[in-house]
Amino acid sequence: MERETLRLLEMLNQLRLTEEQKEKVISFCNNREAALKALDAIDTENVERMVHVMPVLTVVREDIVSQPYTAEELQQGAPETDEGYWCVPKVME
Amino acid sequence: MKYETVIGLEVHVELATKSKIFCSCSAHSFGAEPNSHVCPACCGMPGMLPVVNKRVVDYGMKAGMMLNCHINRTTTFDKKSYYYPDLPAAYQTTQWFAPVAVNGTVEIETSGGKKSVRIKQIHMEEDAGKLVHDIREDTTHVDFNRTSVPLIEIVSQPDLSGAEEVEAYLERLKTLLRYAKVAECEMAHGTMRCDVNLSVRPEGSNVLGVRTEMKNMNSIEAIKRAIEYEVSRHIDAIENGTEVLVQETRRWDDIKGKSYAMRTKETAGDYRYFPDPNVMPIVIDDEWFDSIKATLPELPEVKKARYTGEYGLSDYDADQLTKSIAVCECFEDAYSVCGNAKDAANWMISEVMSLLNVKKMTYDMLDLNGITLGELIVLVSGGKVGRANAKKILAAIFDDPSIVPEEYAKANGFIVSNDTGLIATVVKETVAADPKSVADFKGGKEKALMALFGKCMKQLKGNCDPQVLRKILIDHINGL
Amino acid sequence: MKKIIVDDMLLTKDLPTTAGSKMLEGYMSLFEAEAISRLNGAGYTISGKAEVGEFAIDLICETNYKGAFVKKGKLASPVAEMLEGDAEAAVCMDVNGSVRRAAAQNSLVSIKPTYGTVSRFGTVPVACSGETVSVMAKSADNCEAVLSIIAGHDDKDGTSLSDEDCAKAKEVSPMRRIAVLGNMLKDTDLAVARKIEIFRENLAAKGIEVCEINSDVIAASSAAWNVLMCAELCNNVSRYDGVKYGYRAENFSGIDELYTNSRTEAFGELLKCAILFGSDTLSTENYMKVYDKSLRVRRVVSEAFNALFEQYDAVMMPACSSFDYSEDIEDTAVFEENYYTAPASITGLPAVVIDGVQLVGKAFSEGSLLAFAKEYEKEAK
Repeated sequence: MERETLRLLEMLNQLRLTEEQKEKVISFCNNREAALKALDAIDTENVERMVHVMPVLTVVREDIVSQPYTAEELQQGAPETDEGYWCVPKVME
Repeated sequence: MKYETVIGLEVHVELATKSKIFCSCSAHSFGAEPNSHVCPACCGMPGMLPVVNKRVVDYGMKAGMMLNCHINRTTTFDKKSYYYPDLPAAYQTTQWFAPVAVNGTVEIETSGGKKSVRIKQIHMEEDAGKLVHDIREDTTHVDFNRTSVPLIEIVSQPDLSGAEEVEAYLERLKTLLRYAKVAECEMAHGTMRCDVNLSVRPEGSNVLGVRTEMKNMNSIEAIKRAIEYEVSRHIDAIENGTEVLVQETRRWDDIKGKSYAMRTKETAGDYRYFPDPNVMPIVIDDEWFDSIKATLPELPEVKKARYTGEYGLSDYDADQLTKSIAVCECFEDAYSVCGNAKDAANWMISEVMSLLNVKKMTYDMLDLNGITLGELIVLVSGGKVGRANAKKILAAIFDDPSIVPEEYAKANGFIVSNDTGLIATVVKETVAADPKSVADFKGGKEKALMALFGKCMKQLKGNCDPQVLRKILIDHINGL
Repeated sequence: MKKIIVDDMLLTKDLPTTAGSKMLEGYMSLFEAEAISRLNGAGYTISGKAEVGEFAIDLICETNYKGAFVKKGKLASPVAEMLEGDAEAAVCMDVNGSVRRAAAQNSLVSIKPTYGTVSRFGTVPVACSGETVSVMAKSADNCEAVLSIIAGHDDKDGTSLSDEDCAKAKEVSPMRRIAVLGNMLKDTDLAVARKIEIFRENLAAKGIEVCEINSDVIAASSAAWNVLMCAELCNNVSRYDGVKYGYRAENFSGIDELYTNSRTEAFGELLKCAILFGSDTLSTENYMKVYDKSLRVRRVVSEAFNALFEQYDAVMMPACSSFDYSEDIEDTAVFEENYYTAPASITGLPAVVIDGVQLVGKAFSEGSLLAFAKEYEKEAK
């Protein structure tokens, strides 16, 4: 893994690594990439991807409203709220 | 040099379902208390799993059919990741790999004639929450009521050439989706939103210019202003080198009448899509497909042709009625009962639609039972209820659908009396009390008769066949 | 009242759920896991919550934010420790094999049921396409008793199988032939190798035919599973951002710093490695050649298992390379250890761990796997 790739990944995932952690992540990813070589040996040319391991299809529910929770309950563990809203530092659009 | 504008639209439409797309919270967030339509799922807490609202798929499919799309019989959901405070799980569940509908067309009327706009795809997804910036200066307030409200995004090909066509296209989308009853499509309520992708190139060139995307237009008028501004900005840049155009997202400020580049991070637009393992593929079998197909409405122009042809209505009347599917349905039901299209149309246009206007309701909000209206029309045309009283009955059934017109007429003394003895007595008394009008009428003033007629009708509380009254009145005066 | 232990990946209403992460320290859920509701309904009470490693992706519990659980210089399993008490069983999330490893290392029995037979409603999501609510206990009987209560269709989980399918998982057919996955016998330590050897002898003594086979495809499971697991994990833990609940950094200016500081301060190193690797597999550049490839490999692995199940009733493999992890083992070593657990994770197949050995069966064979385990236990006594 390149340093530049890692910098963008940190930004994308809202993480900031120390120099030591960067080394660890790079070595971790490099190990994973080496392991991926085993996959190259597997022919997947005419194989469909398998997102779901069980062949269940079309799980839907009826359009019925139920509203058992209040804002107050949902915000019990919130770091910052005001008048029923969650709060964050000013976002500029 | 002459330029041409190339525009493609991404239109987000909130679907008119009762509950949200993946949880059972109410989907009607407009005007609600902050975070009152929220549960652990739609505020991003761990542990709840998405289960798709069937009606969202019904409506997505129906919208696709209205826009002549191919319906993907296996449609799947994917996750799109990004961090923003209005997105509580930091991912949006949307359709990236197999959207519900693809490859459609929308026909629009332009000053240059008919035009076909190609639809690239329609995908179903969840809406984001709302950010409120004006409660405190240093803080943004977050409301998740709108989070996970179902949306469809309708992506057009870059087939539009300017503000006029964009307006025609958006109006047509509104009509089609409202006719299909899948969405309100009210830009003022945010139930229809539109991003404009625009580029400019020399006329005849087949190379596209630099494309910018504009957001934050809250009305069709604002969209038109934004397009005009953006086109002249592009041309200025090309001709005069006022700036270097770059592919970017811009925010329209309708008050200032300008667009501004939005500040973006280096990783903006990198969404890392992947299939959602928690949502199984949705397979639309023939039975499901056909059941939705069977609910497709007649298109407005087909209805209009039927109204003017089969029903013999005027172009004007047909235009008025076909403005809204709710009006059409009420009209058709009323006609099925009263059997007189012209009568039914008159009642709809001059009474029902004006009542909606008085009540400041849109035509689509009409909730009047057409069958009941038809019964009322029959009472009037059969001479059982006078017109003035019929309007009172209409006002009543408009507010209370359980009212039966004939029963209501009886209970309120609105039934026309055929008691000619009573009419004769009233006529006699009225004429005797107004010798001046009698003299005027005899002197040739037709209006004087109308005055006497009106007084008699008032005495009779409107419950009188006008023809009968008129005859008795004239006979009485002539006999004086 | 019968007692049950649940691990900290299952949401509880009256006790905090942390998923082993500082991010969720003190987090109180408004609702509880479906499995817990079903157990409550059947007369069980929770006697305690067992600590897990951060989001249960590590070896046993060494990345828990409060520190590793160590006993006599070795990494130990909190849930196994708690099972020494009077609880009938423990209900745990098998995200990356830690449940099976703990069972193998502590001479306990565990059953990872067929994916979709036990509702995941109310569990902290990590690798949704393969993680399974599992049961660990001192005996196969206890595993079976608890599994039969928590298994069954749940409308609240869109991947939940029908009751009809779930009923299939209770059927029992005898074990006649078992395949041993030769690929996985090479790198274990002596104790594990010896365990496998004894197990094979016991099977033979019971008249069960044991054949050693090799499958490079099944052995490649972990490479693909790590891609799928880390990508899903990356996405699932992105919700923890310091806004709605959980840890928020004290110092920040602006929304991006709020996110970054909160996540940077609250997440552990192994989790960060997994997040960043997972995110990388989904980049435009890598998606087809890494992520999509892994989804296709998942099908190839599944088909390889199905082909084996034409001839064999189960596939036997170790659950770990060693029964003792030294206290100072690297947290990233987990990604080598899930070599043994990934085959059942990536395919959603049921797996029983008994006497330190793992048996993977075909879909809906957990009834048979547990019946076998019960018999094995009886004979061992």
